[in-house]
Amino acid sequence: MIFISIIIGCILGALIGINIPTIPYTYTKYLAIAIIAALDSVFGGITSTLKKNFDMKIFISGFFVNAILAMLLTYLGEKLNVDIYLAAVVVFVGRMFNNLGTIRRHYVEKITTRKIIAKAEATIKQANEQK
Amino acid sequence: MKRDKITITIVIGLVCTILVAVMLAQFRTIEETDIIGIETSREEELRTMIASWKTRYEETEEQLQETDQKINEYKDKAISNDETKALLEEELNKTNMLVGKTNVTGEGVIITLTNNEYSEIEYTDLIALVNELKLAGAEAISINDNRIINMTDIVNVNSSTILVNEERIISPYVVKAIGNQKYLSSALSLKNSGYIDKYTSWGKTISMEEGKNIKIYAYNQEGKKGSMEFKYAKEVE
Repeated sequence: MIFISIIIGCILGALIGINIPTIPYTYTKYLAIAIIAALDSVFGGITSTLKKNFDMKIFISGFFVNAILAMLLTYLGEKLNVDIYLAAVVVFVGRMFNNLGTIRRHYVEKITTRKIIAKAEATIKQANEQK
Repeated sequence: MKRDKITITIVIGLVCTILVAVMLAQFRTIEETDIIGIETSREEELRTMIASWKTRYEETEEQLQETDQKINEYKDKAISNDETKALLEEELNKTNMLVGKTNVTGEGVIITLTNNEYSEIEYTDLIALVNELKLAGAEAISINDNRIINMTDIVNVNSSTILVNEERIISPYVVKAIGNQKYLSSALSLKNSGYIDKYTSWGKTISMEEGKNIKIYAYNQEGKKGSMEFKYAKEVE
């Protein structure tokens, strides 16, 4: 159910993204930061799903508020002539790697436990047959 | 529980839609901007370029304004030049008329002096007549269409040849004068002491007629010593 909705959403988004007019170059910086923030939220959401503590409200608020805050910070940096967006990029990308690591570890552990369980089952079966 | 799942599904679909749409738009923008090539120069450089162009524009506009001002000044000068030119031309025309360089017409008298069997007209007669006419206020005088100007000479070479403006003239001598008709005619035809009476009594043939439209030609300068140029006389400063 959720996978279908994700696929449909991606296809719809692709269609819309191809058809909307291009953004002025000056705003691409803000949009890039917003995209990174949103991606960070998405990975965070996946991680929390795996950890079974996924909260819809937190996910949605994180998705939008992080993006908007990142854009505002970039704007502030522009005004102050300080590249604040770099800090935002560092934080978001770092968190993304953290989350990705968690996801990876989760699946690796799953696979190894499965193998161990299979091995154990096999030994149990062998023992039963010998009996 | 099921309702919750449906909302989650819809919300996640929406989030995916937004994310992918924005990402694709961004990709397209970046690609197209790459093609234009603004990407290569950084924003600060572009800003400085804009600033320099702005200052250049301002400088050029200042120059334009200055030039406009100059043009206006020149125009004003040209207009005043035109005015002075018009004034000068008017004065020149007046002077030309006064000096006798123009054809003139107006009311006046025509006196004809003819040689007869007993007496011939002499140059002194003509000089006297011209002087009388000038005294009576003649503005333009000519003898046989030779304009009398301030440089005019009336001389005789021998008893029968008279020169006016270095041109030989012969009888009949037609003297034209433009001026107040009444003054001219009355000054010449005074009883006994007037020019006509006096000279007629000495046996000379003189006739006078009045005219409304007498035409007197301009002084003919060509090929004459007494042309209107000063070689020796200079203005005293």
